[in-house]
Amino acid sequence: MQAMPALQRITRSALLIALVIVVLGFSWRATGIDLPRLLRDLPKGATLVRAFLTPDLFTREVETSVIGVDFPVPCGSAPQGVPPTNGPRLLPSVGCAAPGETFTLMGKEFPASSEILVRWLLPDGRTLNAVRVRTDAQGAFTATLQARPILTTQDGKSARLEAEIQRPVGGLKPSQALRDVAREMFVTIFMALLSTTIATLIAAPLSFLAASNITRRGCLGSGVYYLSRSFFNIIRAYDPLVMATIFAFWLGYGPFAGVLALTVVTIASLGKLFSEVVENIDPGPLEALQACGANRLQTVRYAVVPQIVPDFISFIIYHWDINVRISTIIGYVGGGGIGFYLSQRINGFEYNQAGTALWAIVIVVWLMDFLSAEVRKRVV
Amino acid sequence: MSERKWLLSAFLPGAGQFLGGRRYRGGAILLLWLILVVIVAAYGQPIWWISPILIWLWNIWDAFHLQRLGREASLFLPLLAGLSVLYGIGWQITQIDLRSADMRRALQIVRPMLRPDFVQPRRELNQMWVEILVPCKENPPRAFNKLDGKTAMATPDCARVGEVVIVSVQGLWPNTDTQIWWQTPIGDPKMLGPNESQMLILPTDDNGALSATIRVPTTALVAAPDPSLALPHRVYFDQYRNVGGWELSFNGREVLKGAGVTIAMALMATVLASLFAIPISFLAARNLMGGHPVTFAIYFAVRTFLNVLRSIESLILALIFVVIVGLGPFAGVLALALHSIAALGKLYADVLESIDPGPIEAIRATGANWAQVVRYAVIPQIISPFVAFTIYRWDINVRSATIIGLVGGGGIGYLLVELIRINDMRGVSAVFITIAVIVIALDVLSARIRERLV
Amino acid sequence: MLRVEHLTKIYPNGTVALKDVSFEVPDGEFLVVIGLSGSGKSTLLRCINRLIEPTEGKIYWNDVDITAASPAQLRQIRRQIGMIFQQFNLVRRSKVITNVLAGRLGYVNPWLSLLGIWPAEERRRALAALERVGIADKAYERADALSGGQQQRVGIARALMQEPRLILADEPVASLDPVLAHSILQYLEELNKEGVTVICSLHFLDLVHRYATRVIALKQGVKVFEGKPQEIDRQRFKEIYGEEAQEVRAASL
Ligand SMILES: Nc1ncnc2c1ncn2[C@@H]1O[C@H](COP(=O)(O)OP(=O)(O)O)[C@@H](O)[C@H]1O
Ligand SMILES: [Mg+2]
Repeated sequence: MQAMPALQRITRSALLIALVIVVLGFSWRATGIDLPRLLRDLPKGATLVRAFLTPDLFTREVETSVIGVDFPVPCGSAPQGVPPTNGPRLLPSVGCAAPGETFTLMGKEFPASSEILVRWLLPDGRTLNAVRVRTDAQGAFTATLQARPILTTQDGKSARLEAEIQRPVGGLKPSQALRDVAREMFVTIFMALLSTTIATLIAAPLSFLAASNITRRGCLGSGVYYLSRSFFNIIRAYDPLVMATIFAFWLGYGPFAGVLALTVVTIASLGKLFSEVVENIDPGPLEALQACGANRLQTVRYAVVPQIVPDFISFIIYHWDINVRISTIIGYVGGGGIGFYLSQRINGFEYNQAGTALWAIVIVVWLMDFLSAEVRKRVV
Repeated sequence: MSERKWLLSAFLPGAGQFLGGRRYRGGAILLLWLILVVIVAAYGQPIWWISPILIWLWNIWDAFHLQRLGREASLFLPLLAGLSVLYGIGWQITQIDLRSADMRRALQIVRPMLRPDFVQPRRELNQMWVEILVPCKENPPRAFNKLDGKTAMATPDCARVGEVVIVSVQGLWPNTDTQIWWQTPIGDPKMLGPNESQMLILPTDDNGALSATIRVPTTALVAAPDPSLALPHRVYFDQYRNVGGWELSFNGREVLKGAGVTIAMALMATVLASLFAIPISFLAARNLMGGHPVTFAIYFAVRTFLNVLRSIESLILALIFVVIVGLGPFAGVLALALHSIAALGKLYADVLESIDPGPIEAIRATGANWAQVVRYAVIPQIISPFVAFTIYRWDINVRSATIIGLVGGGGIGYLLVELIRINDMRGVSAVFITIAVIVIALDVLSARIRERLV
Repeated sequence: MLRVEHLTKIYPNGTVALKDVSFEVPDGEFLVVIGLSGSGKSTLLRCINRLIEPTEGKIYWNDVDITAASPAQLRQIRRQIGMIFQQFNLVRRSKVITNVLAGRLGYVNPWLSLLGIWPAEERRRALAALERVGIADKAYERADALSGGQQQRVGIARALMQEPRLILADEPVASLDPVLAHSILQYLEELNKEGVTVICSLHFLDLVHRYATRVIALKQGVKVFEGKPQEIDRQRFKEIYGEEAQEVRAASL
């Protein structure tokens, strides 16, 4: 008698475990998890993170000057260039070369530990990038170059080896990226501010429709109650980013689409929270004021509003906080603000600039978090 | 001097109030005024300077009031001035332009959304085709095809781009609309209706025969490697017939697949995250690690790490992982998992910190060893909150997985972006409905399970 | 003069809270309603100012039929009837003075009141009412900062603002300790002496003996006794409250 239930229990557990394993197996396949690939590609991530950790904040004005030396191909087709004896200079191991020949190029007295682009100036005036090198602590470098057939002297004019030197002049100033990020951040914060405000103005009256103690009277009342409640619940299921995709499709990319998407979702979310506040008010004061002969509006003004306002404010601040977070990324799907900037930098492989935006996001989100916590402490 | 303290507010807003003993008020006035000035200066429209000036005047008045009458001036004016600037500038800066909210376009978007593309009537296809050589070469094969009692032919047997061809077919279903379209040798479909942008649809006669005059599409050779090479192109005749019942449409299948991937992403991320978070949480529990300076240092480092990681949105982590491992659900899983490790690690650690030491003592008093203590005193206390938090996290991860899809993490979010790109609003509508159903259903489900556990 | 005729209240869920209750209250009386918890006392008091709609029966207030009054008339009538509650029913987050002023809502200009603007005269009246119940110094504190006895005094001050001709008090002292109970009931007695009719539901027999001029007893929604407080002896008490009931004296608590 005792054995049966035990057997049943074991079978049931085994089946359950088998089910879990099958589900996990399917999920593993469906999501294309590929751990070796992660390990292999992790160095890529390191570069990325390194770029993010060195955000593009300040620049100096740079003065660009070009150093060059004539380099005839083949030999004798034109006079050889004579490098200077001091200052930044390019020193090829040979003064000229036949097409296809390789030679070494030395550079001396360039700016220390900086990146130098060495290029060919072709006889017809076009340029051909040869190699990118880093100078050592003394400002010297060596590189191996090949004299390509395209460098062949034309009309007595030889090719020329050139290197660009960028020398910083003047003081530090905010980089273009920093200025762009500041401007976009400004937009982003206003997006959050505007959407939270508009949503509050709409959600506050709507929430009364979804409060059972206010609305749910009679057939019409119940209808309105269920309608508004389902509206809130359905819209709340969408993340503002999902909403933003369709608003951006309608209105075009930009902050307006982002504000609208945020507003719509915030209305639903605040409306739900507000209606719960309204449902939880103490009915005693309402009764008392009705007994005094107050009319409906007066009852709302003196018995309902004082009870709900502090909770409303606390929820508004909570949502303001959330909306700042979301508006920093909503631009990624076309909602404008810093997210759009970030997506463009990442798509354009400008990771240092993306780093600037990321840092700005982290700082602003933390700041707003802190501020709203302070305000909430004071209000409630 | 001291009775003129309020005048200081004329030089530095809030100074009079501050020195008059209302430090908080003075500080707040100064701070908010400076913020306002920065905003107005950054925006650079001179008209808005009215507001800081008004508030500056009000602040002098307020300081005077406080000192002479011991009463605060009303906050109405500064609030109005400050808020009007904020909202005025905000309105312009976010480019709110109600005229750009084109209602006709909105209708064009919404109307197809009212008919979500999930299922379609189950149909049967009756197809026939004939091959035509484009362009011509000598002795082209006859453009004739016979198959399952159906015959199709074209005259002439070969043609150049833009030339007229007469195609005819016999043995199809009688009196049925037939779609006639062109397929290039590499499989590209081309339409044969007006402007080559519409499908050519003609009915068959009582005997199931049909004949039509078509033009070889101008784009028939666009993708051909060598336009002078004569290759067989096909003209297809398609007939559809409802056979009763419904079946998933193409989009319907894709949406369900996407939904499955999204849920699987969330599941995988949650499982992976909890595997990592459980050991980490023991390092982040103060009651376990607080005893010794070294372990306390580890505790502190782990907690800080979790806090920092938790404050980075999973979407931003996804951006990074998309760059590392490429587009697809794997990147999404990694991002969600990393974020969840931080979130779950903290929650688990909080559970560990709040366990009751009483049972541990009691079991230890029975002479149990360390493993037995863990098995009989610790695990029973933590198992159900751990499971509850994990399920809660799964619920959150499903929501996040949808939006991670938007940035290339795969799943239903990615499908949404793709469908919007090709302007397939009926598909978009199916995606929206599915998202709501998944999110609400999982919400209810996870609430139920958690209720049972707690 | 208040006249209640054949009053019946059946709640939507079928509970019969009052069954054919009739009585009269001449002006200037201190009528106490007693009965077990759930016997229908609150329902009776709330039917009088129609916070609860009676199912059947009529209620006349100075020969005006309250049960037939239009919403506007009803507000006119309500503002003459003060009400005091067991749970005080103050807006806990509002200031005391605002709670007291709210008693005047039936009299003042509704639009100004919505903006929170009150004539100076009303403010003076509110302070005077608080003065009378002895808590004028608390006027600008939040209501939830006050003790229970003080909150009930705010409730009385709010009723005073209505310049009521009738006061309905629904177990006004049930949430207070006995010493406070007397001080609250003394305010009601004082008002009663000035000519305000009082209808009050109470639990403690010694309070009934001390303050009532007449008593009505309810049992499961039916009026089972009407008469002088002295007529309620041990026997009657058992009848009203059931066999196991022990008389509890407020003073002995
Ligand atoms: N809103 C209501 N809906 C249904 N039944 C109610 C309601 N209010 C009170 N009752 C019932 O009516 C009866 C009388 O209640 P009440 O007047 O509150 O009694 P008392 O005030 O004497 O304790 C009780 O049985 C109570 O359960
Ligand atoms: Mg009662």
